[in-house]
Amino acid sequence: MEITHDTLVAFSKSWGLFYLIAFAIGVAIYTFWPSNRRRFHRAKHSILDQDDKPWR
Amino acid sequence: MSELFHRKIERTAIGFVVAIIAAASVGGIVEIAPLFTIPDTVEEAPDMRLYTPLELAGRDIYVREGCYACHSQMIRTLSDEVERYGPYSLAVESKYDHPMLWGSKRTGPDLARVGGKYSDFWHVAHLSNPRDVVPESNMPAYAFLARTPLRMDDLGLRLAALRAVGVPYTDDMIENAAADAYGQATPDSSYSEGVTGRYGEKTQISAFDGVTTNVTEMDALVAYLQVLGRLTDVAYGRTAASEQAPDPDQ
Amino acid sequence: MIAQLTSSERQYSAVILILLLMAGIAMAALGKADALGVQGVIVLLYSGVLLAFVLSSIDKPEPSEDRQANYYDDPIKVGIVLSMVWAVFGMFMGVWVAAQLAWPNLAFDAAWSTFGRMRPAHTTGVIFGFGGNALIATSFHVVQRTSRTRLAGQLSPWFVLMGYNLFCLLAVSGYFIGITQSKEYAEAEWYADLWLVIVWVTYLVLYIRTLARRKEPHIYVANWYFMAFIVVVAMLHIVNNLAVPVSWGHAKSYTIWPGVQDAMVQWWYGHNAVAFFLTAGFLGMMYYYLPKRAGRPIFSYRLSILSFWGITFFYMWAGSHHLHYTALPHWVQNLGMTFSVMLLVPSWASAGNALLTLNGAWHKVRDDATLRFMMVAAVFYGLSTFEGSFLAIRPVNSLSHYTDWTVGHVHAGALGWVALITFGSLYTLVPALWKRERMYSAALVEVHFWLALAGTLIYVFAMWNSGIIQGLMWRTYTEDNALAYSFVDSLLAMYPYYIARAFGGLLFLLGTIVGCYNIWMTVRMAPVTAQDHADLPDRRAAPGIAPSPAE
Repeated sequence: MEITHDTLVAFSKSWGLFYLIAFAIGVAIYTFWPSNRRRFHRAKHSILDQDDKPWR
Repeated sequence: MSELFHRKIERTAIGFVVAIIAAASVGGIVEIAPLFTIPDTVEEAPDMRLYTPLELAGRDIYVREGCYACHSQMIRTLSDEVERYGPYSLAVESKYDHPMLWGSKRTGPDLARVGGKYSDFWHVAHLSNPRDVVPESNMPAYAFLARTPLRMDDLGLRLAALRAVGVPYTDDMIENAAADAYGQATPDSSYSEGVTGRYGEKTQISAFDGVTTNVTEMDALVAYLQVLGRLTDVAYGRTAASEQAPDPDQ
Repeated sequence: MIAQLTSSERQYSAVILILLLMAGIAMAALGKADALGVQGVIVLLYSGVLLAFVLSSIDKPEPSEDRQANYYDDPIKVGIVLSMVWAVFGMFMGVWVAAQLAWPNLAFDAAWSTFGRMRPAHTTGVIFGFGGNALIATSFHVVQRTSRTRLAGQLSPWFVLMGYNLFCLLAVSGYFIGITQSKEYAEAEWYADLWLVIVWVTYLVLYIRTLARRKEPHIYVANWYFMAFIVVVAMLHIVNNLAVPVSWGHAKSYTIWPGVQDAMVQWWYGHNAVAFFLTAGFLGMMYYYLPKRAGRPIFSYRLSILSFWGITFFYMWAGSHHLHYTALPHWVQNLGMTFSVMLLVPSWASAGNALLTLNGAWHKVRDDATLRFMMVAAVFYGLSTFEGSFLAIRPVNSLSHYTDWTVGHVHAGALGWVALITFGSLYTLVPALWKRERMYSAALVEVHFWLALAGTLIYVFAMWNSGIIQGLMWRTYTEDNALAYSFVDSLLAMYPYYIARAFGGLLFLLGTIVGCYNIWMTVRMAPVTAQDHADLPDRRAAPGIAPSPAE
């Protein structure tokens, strides 16, 4: 098959859309995964702790 | 699964970098890659010629002085622009442009088709002090260009570098680059014929800054301005406007 | 500066500087009369001065064994100072070029002082000089604090910082003598670009290694933004700057991209320089310093993750909205427009997240100008991302493109968002870093805030007005279907706004100078002397987390 401008454009657009959706779903799953709640909670509050020395 | 995956890539920051690249590279690839197949669909311009060495030197001065910061060279497909500046710009018209100078701002007017609209004399006066010609202008004065001799010894190297990125300059053109620059700015010299021979009969031979004793940066810049929009006439056949390519001899 | 380096590290740095010195000599020799020769001399002088400094203190006492027990703050301090120096320079250039548009004879008939040469000196000075140094400094600070570990290198932070500033210096000095690629926001030529690649890869490696040594289980979201900034800017920089030099002795090069492809690559770069340099990096600042200063955790951590990936994914598509109605294929323009509009979602998620964090702390915003800097920055971020999506819509763009509206939009983002979040972050960071109780003068922070806000508003309103008037004048027809105004008519209408804009910029510059004075006086203040919290290591372990195997 000859690769023309049109086929490349069609491929780009459909594949790009698929990628976008898959990526969005992946991110959403990670963000709302129940066991991640604790990590996020800790991360969110930990920056307010004392930070004068590196932990050893 | 996704969660496990993410935890893994998160532990090593490198995985995270890969994820960022994966997310960020798609848009660019999708939009840029197909553009390289554009010659399939885009208009052809068999009559298109290359910039002469003098015009190229002028273009490099245009770049050096940052003219693109205030002047676009891209007439959009809008009726008021076509009426004000001429037929809208085609992709093929900038196919030899490295870099393109489409610009992003019009503090001054678009220059895509300024070639042939004004006389050489007007350009020299305008560049020397814009307010002598257009009292309202806020353009800087470029009087120093007329005082600066044009560096011609490296024009062959410049042409060769452009050939390396795909502009079809011939060995003959590269060899004679300096002579051609001199010949184009010095009518009646023995070098002038070579220029029209190599770059076409339509090439404008002129004492651009009005002085034939030496070739200055002013010569080069005016030569470049005078060729803008005139490397090919293809745009005039494609637009609804009944305009014709400007003819300097009329 | 050098006190924290061991003698072998000092020797390494001397070797690196000698190599750089030789590179400068080579450039000067190859360049000869070409502008490259001048740039070679600059490299020579820059590395020579640093080398003299290193050699003069090479015999100073070595650092104590336990330097790993402390954060590495020296490069951050120098980065802050350099950032403020560039801010004054870049903004001064901005005021000067703005004044030239109103009074063109301010170029004084010289070549170096024309608008075209000074404009990139302004943009590079503020974006890369001021913004870049602030990003490097704050990223070094944030990554250490949120990872609870010292930077993973002793010499490399200095290499990144000083190398980056050499790049900025080469770029800006080059514009004045006529060296430019003409690619907006990527004007520096090939040799400077190559140097930046080396510096940037070092930066990336340093950042990754520091993150890998972290004692916290999770990478705090601010680091995600800094990482995206570093990684994507590397990608953009390399692709956009591929070029063939005229010769090894020439500063001049020609990009490998022709015409329409070059336009797409350039604005793919140009827009994402906005996205990943001027947005992602500064969001990293916001996600750390805003909660820190407000004393409240970020409103929603999950939202910050979602908007991170949204921004990282969407922005890359948006560049083609700079090329509406041009010779770029229509479908690319449409993609750019669509994604630009979708970008509003993650952008407003970030802005909203910042503002909601302040809920319950509004009294602090009222009393504390530092926090107010960051609050107003978030508001401007929301406004300018909305404006950006709006301007990316094709019909709107037909009016706004090529006009001052674009300039106004850029400055709403650059002054209102980037500069204000930076000042807010620096006013938080400076006292903490130099271990001072507070800034030298809260009143001066207040003065700076109002100067900056007034300057931004005057600037942006002037440009909105001039841009819209300009766009409308260009497309107005008379009753008999002819264009109503000549180009010169539209230019004449701009002068009052150009004067107002220069005035707004001047106010902003004055604010920055006040800020410099305040930071300088803070550094000169007496440090907190009491044996308080500052000297007690925090030995708390993260709950339920095993120490990472790296240590």
